[in-house]
Amino acid sequence: MIKAVNLTKTVPVADGVLEILRGIDLEIKPGESAAIVGASGSGKSTLLGLLAGLDEASSGEVFIGDACLSAMDEDQRAALRAREVGFVFQSFQLLPALSALENVMLPLELAGAQQPEVTALSYLQRVGLDNRTQHFPKMLSGGEQQRVAIARAFAARPSVLFADEPTGNLDTVTGQRIIDLLFELNQSESTTLVLVTHDQRLAARCQRQFSMSAGALEELQA
Amino acid sequence: MRSRLSAIQLLRREWRGGELGLLFVAVVLAVAMVMGISTFVSRLQSTLEAESSRFLAADAVVRSRTAINMDWLMAAERDGLAVAQTQVFSTMVIGSEESMFMTSVKAVSSHYPLRGALAVSRDAFSLPETTSSVPPPGEVWLAPRLFELLNVATGDSVQVGYLALRVAGAIRTEPDAGGSMIGYGPRLMMNIADVPATGVVQPGSQVTYSLLVAGAEEVVETFSERIKPQLVQGQRLLALEEGQPSVARALDRARGFLLLSGSLAVLLAAAAMALVARRFAERHTDSVAVMKSLGAQKQQISQLYLRALLLLGATATAIGGGLGGLLQLLLFTLLEDQLPVAPGAIGTLPWLLAGATAAVSLLAFAWPPIRRLAGVPPLRVLRRDIGSIGDQRVSELAIAGLSMAGLMWWYSADWRMTAALICGLLLTVGLGYILSRLFLRGSRAVGARAGSAWLLGLAGLQRRRAANAITMTVLAMAIMLMLVVTMIRTSLIEQWRAQLPEGSPNHFVMNVAPDESSRFLEELKRNAIATQPLFPMIRGRVIAVNDVALPEWRDAQGGPRQREANFSWSETVPDNNELLSGRWWSEGRDAPEVSLEAEFASSIGAQVGDQLRFDIAGSEFEAAVANIRKLDWQSMQPNFWVVFPEHVLAPYPGMLLTSFHLSAEQKPVLNALVREFPTVSVIELDVAIREIRAIVDQVSQAVEWVLWVTLFAGVLVLLAGVQASMDSRLYENALLRALGARKQILTGALALEFAALGAGAGVLSVAGAELTAWILQSQVLDLSYRSTPELWPLAVLGGVILIASFGVVSCRRATTVAPLRVLREFV
Repeated sequence: MIKAVNLTKTVPVADGVLEILRGIDLEIKPGESAAIVGASGSGKSTLLGLLAGLDEASSGEVFIGDACLSAMDEDQRAALRAREVGFVFQSFQLLPALSALENVMLPLELAGAQQPEVTALSYLQRVGLDNRTQHFPKMLSGGEQQRVAIARAFAARPSVLFADEPTGNLDTVTGQRIIDLLFELNQSESTTLVLVTHDQRLAARCQRQFSMSAGALEELQA
Repeated sequence: MRSRLSAIQLLRREWRGGELGLLFVAVVLAVAMVMGISTFVSRLQSTLEAESSRFLAADAVVRSRTAINMDWLMAAERDGLAVAQTQVFSTMVIGSEESMFMTSVKAVSSHYPLRGALAVSRDAFSLPETTSSVPPPGEVWLAPRLFELLNVATGDSVQVGYLALRVAGAIRTEPDAGGSMIGYGPRLMMNIADVPATGVVQPGSQVTYSLLVAGAEEVVETFSERIKPQLVQGQRLLALEEGQPSVARALDRARGFLLLSGSLAVLLAAAAMALVARRFAERHTDSVAVMKSLGAQKQQISQLYLRALLLLGATATAIGGGLGGLLQLLLFTLLEDQLPVAPGAIGTLPWLLAGATAAVSLLAFAWPPIRRLAGVPPLRVLRRDIGSIGDQRVSELAIAGLSMAGLMWWYSADWRMTAALICGLLLTVGLGYILSRLFLRGSRAVGARAGSAWLLGLAGLQRRRAANAITMTVLAMAIMLMLVVTMIRTSLIEQWRAQLPEGSPNHFVMNVAPDESSRFLEELKRNAIATQPLFPMIRGRVIAVNDVALPEWRDAQGGPRQREANFSWSETVPDNNELLSGRWWSEGRDAPEVSLEAEFASSIGAQVGDQLRFDIAGSEFEAAVANIRKLDWQSMQPNFWVVFPEHVLAPYPGMLLTSFHLSAEQKPVLNALVREFPTVSVIELDVAIREIRAIVDQVSQAVEWVLWVTLFAGVLVLLAGVQASMDSRLYENALLRALGARKQILTGALALEFAALGAGAGVLSVAGAELTAWILQSQVLDLSYRSTPELWPLAVLGGVILIASFGVVSCRRATTVAPLRVLREFV
């Protein structure tokens, strides 16, 4: 479960304070998929950062399961992310010096998992890249890189998966395949999925849709 | 949470990134330089000590004008030291057919010499052989010239006092004969047991007694410490330093240079490490942000990178240590044939220094930017604009600077050398700041000006002015250090060569009587031997200063005392002499004046203007101190403590002294000369000079080797400096190409931008290098400062060419690889 209570984020600017998020309330149940849509600069990536514990809110609270992120320091949030959270980013965010296999192994190694290589291999197999395990990111196409990123996100068996514009850097056909893969894995792993996008077709695949505008969040009726 | 990601895995993976390779090379280089040079220098040091022992014929010597205290001798024996005694005195020796000559007798006990060896030959000029024995009682060895002077051959007898002694051979070499060039006649060596029977040594006789000891360093030291407080007037303890010949001085300067180069190489390598580590950190901010978003904690990241760095450091130290060992072996191989004694042991200090160098340079230079990686916020995965690793903090710079200064100080054991380098570096940094403010500031150009290489390059210089100012200063520091090494090496080698030019005098002739001087010179000319001028030499004594009588040495309580010396005259300042105070006399003045050597003046307590009273063979006269001089004892030219105008000394009877160069083939001429002029004393320095020159040549070669290694370290910094400024240029050029800019224009603009940085760095480096070289040459290395304008254009041009070509080559990806690929790496 993910829950946000009266969440705000402000940043100081030259002539006062800029409100990026204004009192957001949100609850997503375990296993649900939710899409947050909105224009560029509407604050949806900021919200994603707060929900995933990558940033601290100015006020309000965020819960993942029973854990209150707002009461944690950065290291505690990191430990929680290692256990509970997975990410898929628009720009893939693979480590360039690591092979496809090593990139997938990374969260497993950081979490101290047993036999990280075996698990990573099985996930690469599931995203159809078992023949590219030793390739480095720059040797892979954009679609392939995002598949490695998806394998990495699921390999650590997170309870929540955050995806930030996962098809933003891909062409339509490749983007479609990536979405299929993401939802397929999400279903089989029973992961809670929170997706930020401005792609309406992608948003439509989620059980719930939210619209973000000028720092305020509103749930759209299915 | 315990990560399974080990430092080894991290290193293995990151190695592919490329930056670690350069970091590794920098550590290996720093360690190899420190290890190689400090090992070489410490072994050279122990070699020099052994060499000095050889010149003392012992590890320590107690020299006394009265008989040696037997308790000391017994104490030394009890301590387990090897012990020998000598007595040196002058006496008339009678040969056959009434011929007699004043000789310098050295009576020696068995075991003499304790260090080095004697060489004797059967006859005066037959082949000498080294021997470990001394003349047995009843026998003597004579200096070759004495055979002629006393009209004797091996097997004949000579009379020393009441005792007739059989001539058993010729003494050709004794290790402790060096030092004073002024002897009291040719040598006769006899057994110390025979001395009482000669009746020559009576109470009050002028005898120099020596107690020689040798053994383990700490035992000798303990013995010396115990003896020192018991020494009375007229007794002296000679330790190793006093035995050092001029070879040691030459090697000592080389040692200074090598330590300096080593310090510079370490400094350069540390700068390279700092640059490389910063670039490594900048390029890893995204990776760390991803790792943190995946759950890595701050401490986990810190530990991981620290362990990886230490692991890299340890491996590089091991490899650098090995390479350093090879380097010093190589340097010793160069010197092998020339060193008079075997090189000493390595000791533990070089290992400690090498380890400390690696640790300090890694932790103070490479670690700070990498440490900041742990602070990169995970939110950077969503927002690229936050979480850059930021600039070096002042406290970090201060710690790095201080630790490096401390390391250099420990390494060179010379705070003046360290201070000179720091001054030069500070000047370069200060000037770099001013120059970048003046030239790179200007008004900001509008647009990229991508239409011409020239304008584009200038615009680039201005746009990146902050980064360019830092790059220029770092490059200037690297070129400066390379210049300093080249300058010092050049003046060091020039000075060595100038000291002992080919054909410099290698034989000194004393006691040439004035009435036979022209015949003597003619004889030399007939044998095609070029001579130096004849110097008058008169033995005399200073007895009073400003009408206050000086005490004799027996009564002096450590203060001023009477001094005996060889007086000479000259109308001009003698060559290789430097006036410290006062003025030289002008020709034609008839006031009685005198010029004193500085040390001599202080031993009699005299200053410029003081009135001195002299005694030459019983007649006394006065003269005022006109000036005080400094002598160059390394010059291998006749030097005098006391010099008068000719008119003061001319009335007194004296002998003449000269010097000449004799090649190995001309050597037999010497025998003929000695036969023709039996009263003349010849001091042969040809072997010693040959030895010095050979060592200087070999050390010069070692210096060249080290120079190249240091230059390599400098190039490494240039490469790292150019690389560090590469990313923004790479991205911008890819973008400009994507927008249609032509390849030639981009390459031209890059070349121009880097050439301008190179030129600026070259100019800065010249200023810093001249200041450093001035301090080092005049204050530290005892060399004379000479500015080197011939190197200036080389520094600027070298800076331009090296930096422009490194820059263009490093950036070639921006103009050869598809722009999209470069751009994607920066997304």
